[in-house]
Amino acid sequence: MVINKDIQDKVMTLKLTGRLDTTTSPDLEQELNASLDGIGELNFDFSELEYISSAGLRVLLAAQKRMNTQGAMSISGVNDTIADIFEITGFSDILTIK
Amino acid sequence: MNVVRGERNDHQINLFLCGRIDSTNAAEADAEIKSITEGAEKLPVLIDAEKLEYISSAGLRVLLRLRKTNEKIHIINVNPEIYEIFDMTGFTQMMTIDRAYRTVSIEGCEVIGRGANGTIYRIDHDNVVKVYNNADALEEIQHEREVARLALILGIPTAISYDVVRVGDSYGSVFELLDAKSFSKIIATEPERLDWCVEEYVDMLKKIHGTLVPEGDLPDMKGTALGWVHFMKDYLPAEAWQKLWDMVDEIPHDDHMLHGDYHTKNLELVNDEVILIDMDTLAVGHPVFELASMFNAFIGYSEYDHNTVKEFQGFDFETATDFWNKVLRSYLGTDDENAVRQIEDKARIIGYTRMIRRSIRRKGLETEDGRAEIDLWTGELLELLDRTDSLFFASSEILVDAEVGNLQKIIGFVESKLDEYDCTVKTAMRICVAVEEIFTNIAKYAYPGEEGVALIRVEAADGGKAVKITFTDRGHPYDPLTVKDPDVTLSAEDRAIGGLGLFMVKKTMDSIEYEYKDGKNILTITKEL
Repeated sequence: MVINKDIQDKVMTLKLTGRLDTTTSPDLEQELNASLDGIGELNFDFSELEYISSAGLRVLLAAQKRMNTQGAMSISGVNDTIADIFEITGFSDILTIK
Repeated sequence: MNVVRGERNDHQINLFLCGRIDSTNAAEADAEIKSITEGAEKLPVLIDAEKLEYISSAGLRVLLRLRKTNEKIHIINVNPEIYEIFDMTGFTQMMTIDRAYRTVSIEGCEVIGRGANGTIYRIDHDNVVKVYNNADALEEIQHEREVARLALILGIPTAISYDVVRVGDSYGSVFELLDAKSFSKIIATEPERLDWCVEEYVDMLKKIHGTLVPEGDLPDMKGTALGWVHFMKDYLPAEAWQKLWDMVDEIPHDDHMLHGDYHTKNLELVNDEVILIDMDTLAVGHPVFELASMFNAFIGYSEYDHNTVKEFQGFDFETATDFWNKVLRSYLGTDDENAVRQIEDKARIIGYTRMIRRSIRRKGLETEDGRAEIDLWTGELLELLDRTDSLFFASSEILVDAEVGNLQKIIGFVESKLDEYDCTVKTAMRICVAVEEIFTNIAKYAYPGEEGVALIRVEAADGGKAVKITFTDRGHPYDPLTVKDPDVTLSAEDRAIGGLGLFMVKKTMDSIEYEYKDGKNILTITKEL
């Protein structure tokens, strides 16, 4: 998985390419821990993300909890496979999916 | 005594270094070398350092000055301490420097292994030496060292030699191998452990065949096999030969590892660990080539004279046959006699081709027994060629160490299998997520604090309308279906982290079943295509 980061003022956009799975989730977790300080708006671009496993969901959940206290988080470009997973796990109710 | 002696002819200068060369005598050595090399600039220089005890930087500068007039320098018989000086100062990159080899005697030593290229002796309690058949084996030794290192990095437990020695007129490589016992010896002396040997032997085989090798790092077995077929052109009817050639040629390229000489003398039990040895035949290719050499080792070479296997492996032909049949069934993961025989046929075709060529090259046609053996094998080969149309078979299983780091290997294997079934991208993704969740669970929880393996089998179900994936581990009994589903209606704040993976599997797959049998956790999922 490749993470492209773009920060404009307090808005951070992370574009993920590839798979967010057990092996790659720690990379995203690390990236978030390193750069979320002072961020008021976190946007994920999933248009190039193929799939997400429970390890990825955990990282998203932690990010959502943190952004609930310091601003807002949203996800765009979600494909069918990932949308299904969000639906099944109830994440579609927790996350803001554009 | 002079520190330098020398002689020269029209083609080469020979120098002998003796004692210590340091600042007290470097100028003397330099003058001596000049007097020998004068007028013969550009001739190659061979330096024998057998009697050299020490060389300081002043001595090294003498060699550097020599290199200015005579660029080609080859130093031989360098003792380990001096070799280290040459290595540290970068001299080993500037000129060819060969170490002195210590001499090891194998008189009265136990033979613990025998392979295509050499014999392995135990020289003391901790160490073994592999003596190469070929007297000029330094290149082979280097090759085996490199491939053993490659295999170890790729996750195959093996021994790497730490020293090269002289053994009589030949060379040997020395390995540390404590209390090792070969599988041949275990089978011969502890027949009650045969089934255990089958299991461990097949586990290792699957591990080898599940290992992807970076392109170009190992030779391609198919090329070697086509060479054998080429040789057979004069010894088979034209039509049969053409069919043989086409079938070998049509075996698809495969970058997975093959051992190349996988019989029970090359598998050692060291304490409780199983270790693969004799790595010089390592290659890449389709597993049918491996099965061929295994068939030869246990059955083929002994078909004419049943005593062959007894002499080589230490157990009799009946035991060898029993072992081979059990191994084949376990490796293929089926008890279906017909399916097993069909794949055995494919392996035998390559096996006979190899044996006939080998025997003819060793003048087998010149003795009565040799001719009878070649006739027997050729008869079998022709019959098999008549009833076989392809040498390919698709492996439906992969065995890996149960570690999260092997996830990519598993997903890659499952995806390649799903490609065979014309699975849609969306279904494939869902299956991959499910496979990841289950494998990750096994890797994290099946073997707490210890190591273990996981076997993943992918096969068609429901007449090809569905795919069935089975996960087997030998860890603690654990039924994941008893885990309570998470409450997916809770808010982010109230959500617990965990329990989601298996829940996703249950929701996205059509069925999930668990069974604990023969000490194994067996979890099966199916998904309609």
